[in-house]
Amino acid sequence: MRRLSSSSSGQGFRLLAKLAFLAAAASLSAQQTPESATSLSREVKDVFERCAKAVVKIEATDQHGELSGTGFFVDPTGTLYTAYSVGGEAENVTVEFKGKKYPARQLMADLRSGIAMLKVDLASPALPIGNSDQLEIATPVVAIGYPLDLAESPSFGMIAGFDRKCFGGYFPTKHLRVNLPPQRGEGGAPLLNLKGEVVGILLYTFENNSCYALPIEAAEKIRSDFVRFGEPRHGWIGANVAEASAPVEGSRAVTKEIMKDTPAAESGMKPGDVVLQIGRTKVHEPEDILDASFFLTAGDVVPITVMRGSEKLTFSVQADFHPASQPRPPLLAAPPLSNRAIPLNLQSAPERSP
Amino acid sequence: MDEFNDNEITKLLRLKRYEQPSPGYFENFLHEFHRRQRDELLRQPLWRICVDRARDFALSFNLSTLTSYPAAVTAVLVCAAVISLRIYEAPQPATVAAKDRPMLVVPASTEPEWTLASPVATRVFNTRSLRNIKESAQTHRSATPRYVLDSVPVSYETTFKF
Repeated sequence: MRRLSSSSSGQGFRLLAKLAFLAAAASLSAQQTPESATSLSREVKDVFERCAKAVVKIEATDQHGELSGTGFFVDPTGTLYTAYSVGGEAENVTVEFKGKKYPARQLMADLRSGIAMLKVDLASPALPIGNSDQLEIATPVVAIGYPLDLAESPSFGMIAGFDRKCFGGYFPTKHLRVNLPPQRGEGGAPLLNLKGEVVGILLYTFENNSCYALPIEAAEKIRSDFVRFGEPRHGWIGANVAEASAPVEGSRAVTKEIMKDTPAAESGMKPGDVVLQIGRTKVHEPEDILDASFFLTAGDVVPITVMRGSEKLTFSVQADFHPASQPRPPLLAAPPLSNRAIPLNLQSAPERSP
Repeated sequence: MDEFNDNEITKLLRLKRYEQPSPGYFENFLHEFHRRQRDELLRQPLWRICVDRARDFALSFNLSTLTSYPAAVTAVLVCAAVISLRIYEAPQPATVAAKDRPMLVVPASTEPEWTLASPVATRVFNTRSLRNIKESAQTHRSATPRYVLDSVPVSYETTFKF
C-alpha cells in the first residue's frame, strides 16, 4: 500500500509539473504572438512610409475614356514604371506627385512584358531595385497602389508561386503569383520586399485575393534595352522546342524545328538537339525556354549548349529580332560573326537516364 | 470580313478586353430592364397605348370569330367620325377660359393637407419619371475613370519558340 501511495503521489507531481509547463508555454506563446504581429506591422508600416513617396497616381485618356492607374519612380530624374494597360496606349498622361499633377510622356511601351516607361521632368525619389530570385514561397511582400479614387494604400501578402503558365497560355517569362488583395487602379503598382526594394510590378488580378506581378529583372531587361537602343529589343534565334520522351543530361527540351534562314539554322543547330543551356539559363524543361528566350536581346551573341547524340556542343548565336517585334532593318551595323559550333571534349561519357 | 485583317482583329480584341460592366450591373439588371421597358412604353402616345390595350383585350375574348372583319372596320370608322365631329364642334371660348382660370393658391403657412382641394392623385400617383428618356439612355455611361488592373495578360506566348 505504501508503495502504491508513493507511486500515485509521484504521478500526481508529474501531472502537476506537466500542467505547469503547458501553462507557461501557453502564456509565452500568447505573449509572443502579439509581439510578432506588432513587429510585422511595424515593418510593413516602415516600408510604406519609406516607399510611398515614390509611388504616383497616373491618369490618362485612351480610346475608352479616362483611366487611372499606379506607377513608381525608378531613378531620380523622373523615370517611372507602370503597366502597359495604364501607359501603353494612353494619351494626355499626367502624374500626381506630392499633390500636384505633372504631364508625363511615354518613353517606351512593351506589349510582350506588359509594362510601359514614362518620364516626368522633375527630380524625384526612386525606389531601390531588388532581386526577385531571392524570393521564396511565403516570402512576405507589400504592394503600394492607388485603389479607385483613394489615396495611396499598402497591401500586405506573400509570394504564392512562380508561374509560367496561366489563363490557358504562357507568360513571356516567369511571373510572381502573389496572395494579396489587389484593387482596381493598382495596375502598375510596385511589389516590394520588406527591405523596401522593388521585386515586381503588379500587372494582373487573379481571382479575388491573388494577383500576378512581373519580376523586376524582366522589367530591368526592357529598361536596359531602352538605354542601349532606345527601344525594347526582344531576341530570337528561330528554334522550336518540344518535350523529349526521356531527359538527356537533365533536360527534356528537344529542338523540334529549326526555321530556315534564321540564326539557329546558320549556326548549325539541328532538329533533335537537346538544349541544355541558353546564356546563363540552364534548361531542364521546355518551359525553361520561355525565361531564357525573354532575356535574349536582338543583336547580342548568346552561347547555346546542346546535346547531339553523345556530343555536347556550344553554339555562339547572334540573336535576331523576335517575330512579334515590328519589322525592322536587318542588323547590318553589328559586326559580322561566324556562328559556329565548338565541340567540347567530354572527359567522361554523358550520364544517361534509363 | 475582308475589310479586317488579323492585326486589326487582334487590336480590336485587345481593346475590347477593357469593356466590363460597371459594379452592381448584374445585381440591378432586372430592375433596370423593367425600368427601360416602362420608359419604352411611355415613349408611345397615349392613344396608341389605349388602342393596343383595347386590341389585346378584344383578342383575349377571341372576338374575331364572333364578328366579321368589315363590320368591325365600319364600327371603328363610325366611332372615329363621331369623335372627330365632336372635337371640331367644341366651343372656342374654352381655351380663353382655360387661360383665365384662377391659379390654385396653397397657403404657405399651412402644412399640406389631404383634402379634396388638394387632390391625392396629383401627389401620390404622379408617375412622371425622375429622369427623362434622354437621361435614362445614359444610365451606364461611366462618369468615373476606368481604374486599371487587368484580369488577363496583354500578351501570351503560344509555343516554346526562341
